[in-house]
Amino acid sequence: MSNPTATPVASLAAISKTYGEGEMAVTALSDADLSIYPGEILLIEGPSGSGKTTLISILGLLLKPTTGAVFVDGRDVTALHERELPAIRARHFGFVFQGFNLFPALTALENVALAIKMKHPRAKDAELQSRRLLAAVGLETRMHHLPANLSGGQKQRVAIARALGGDPTIILGDEPTAALDTKTALGVMELLRGLATEQGRAVVVVTHDPRLERFADRVARVEDGRVVAVETMRHAA
Amino acid sequence: MWNLARKILLHDRIKFAVAAAGVSISVMLVLVQIGLYLGFMQNASNLIDHSKADVWVVAEGSENFDFSGPIDERAVYKVLSTPGVARVERMLLAFGQYRNADGGQQGVQVVGIEPGATMLAPWSLVGGDAARIHEPGKISVDVTEFAKLGIDQVGARREISGARAEVVALTRGIRSFTTSPFVFTNLDTARAYTNFPADKMTFVLVEAEPGVSPETLAERLSKLPNLDAYTTPTMSARARHYWSSRTGVGAGFFTTAALGVIVGLVVVGQILYNGTLEHLKEYGTLKAMGARNGAIVRVILYQAVISAVVGFVLGGGLAVASRAAMTKANLTVLLTPDLVGATAVLTVVMCCVAALLSVIKVLRLDPASVFKG
Repeated sequence: MSNPTATPVASLAAISKTYGEGEMAVTALSDADLSIYPGEILLIEGPSGSGKTTLISILGLLLKPTTGAVFVDGRDVTALHERELPAIRARHFGFVFQGFNLFPALTALENVALAIKMKHPRAKDAELQSRRLLAAVGLETRMHHLPANLSGGQKQRVAIARALGGDPTIILGDEPTAALDTKTALGVMELLRGLATEQGRAVVVVTHDPRLERFADRVARVEDGRVVAVETMRHAA
Repeated sequence: MWNLARKILLHDRIKFAVAAAGVSISVMLVLVQIGLYLGFMQNASNLIDHSKADVWVVAEGSENFDFSGPIDERAVYKVLSTPGVARVERMLLAFGQYRNADGGQQGVQVVGIEPGATMLAPWSLVGGDAARIHEPGKISVDVTEFAKLGIDQVGARREISGARAEVVALTRGIRSFTTSPFVFTNLDTARAYTNFPADKMTFVLVEAEPGVSPETLAERLSKLPNLDAYTTPTMSARARHYWSSRTGVGAGFFTTAALGVIVGLVVVGQILYNGTLEHLKEYGTLKAMGARNGAIVRVILYQAVISAVVGFVLGGGLAVASRAAMTKANLTVLLTPDLVGATAVLTVVMCCVAALLSVIKVLRLDPASVFKG
């Protein structure tokens, strides 16, 4: 659960992002502040085009803000060179997407192991880690299956296991339940809830689905490029 | 990582089969075309390369080994009196007209050598007695030319330029570039077969005195009037160069080989690029999660190398099969270790170059794009 007295694992301070220049300039995000705490699930909600994707991209160090500062683990990483960012992303972030983005030719185990080897080329125990992670998401009997032979929910669990490779402190999800039926979507959210509560990871999920709010500690609402509200959910208070 | 790259590559077996076919056709074309070229070039300098001479003396201005101009007996004495010359042998190479048993005609290249010649004599004997070619009207022929000459054994009797010719020795592998079979005989008989006067020849083969370098001696002999002189390696290179450049045979073979490489590049490049496009979201996800460009590029290059290895093995097999078929058609395809090694390296380089577009695509891939649906 979120703890406002805890140190944020990541935060955005007065972030703005403008695409293009002059008359063609489009402001996707302006003056956004947001802090992410360990052990919480933060939902980012808002209509299409409101700036949610820009917000999560800047938070995940995939996009540079035009103004403002990004802190990860207390360190200002805004001005770091592009070359330095992959190492920080590898250490702190895991990503989960709506489309799973698994290599169809690789088994669940291989997909997770490949990500670990890519993030940490010197990792000697990538396969062992992958087995442990897949077991943790309830796929111990599906490790050697190709994505084509897994259900949508199972694929998303593989993607979550892959995101957990390298033991990141923050999991960022871009509509991770949008392609799943209700029951499966809720199962995936329960899994993410467990990662936050039991392992202390921060989970940030961009979603349109209000049913997911019951799993969240806080909900940030984004409209017209602004974080208009950050609500603490009653069940989390 | 190799295993994972292999799995990604082999997932679509039909596409991989097309890539492997592209590489193997490329490899086969390179090996066979350059092998044929090397075979022709070997034939172009066959006699020179098998001689023990240090220096070859020819008529001034002779450009082509097979069509050298005549030099006369006085040249031999001039050469012999040149400091640094230990010994000389006369040699004649000229065309004669061979008549088959059925009356058909076939041009032959008559090689006349002195009795007891040690600097050039028939080699790779497989039958008969080579010493007997020093008897008048006796010849040695190569078994690979049996079909052209219409004979199949020692003792066969035919005519060359109207004079008697009896086969007394057989060799294997002494073939000419001109496709006219070589016929070894003694110098006098060779003159009769080629209508050369008794004091004429085409080459003087020179053995240098101990301690005298062939280069120095060749330079010294080149100063003699109306004569040119070349060391054996230079003579060999000139013979090859003449046929390679003057006939366009070199350009022809290398153009076909280059086309093979281009075919391989295009096919492999397209297959790898399509594969990369299909996996762009997956690669983007890995980049988002902190994978460095180098790690992803390595996976693509591993796929290129796997395509190269499979294509090389298949293409090599096709080239060996082609060589067997061409040998039956009396064509020499020389698959030397150097050629095979160079082709292996070329294949890997070709596939890696073909992967370049994919590599550029991945390097330019914005990891943020995975958030954009």
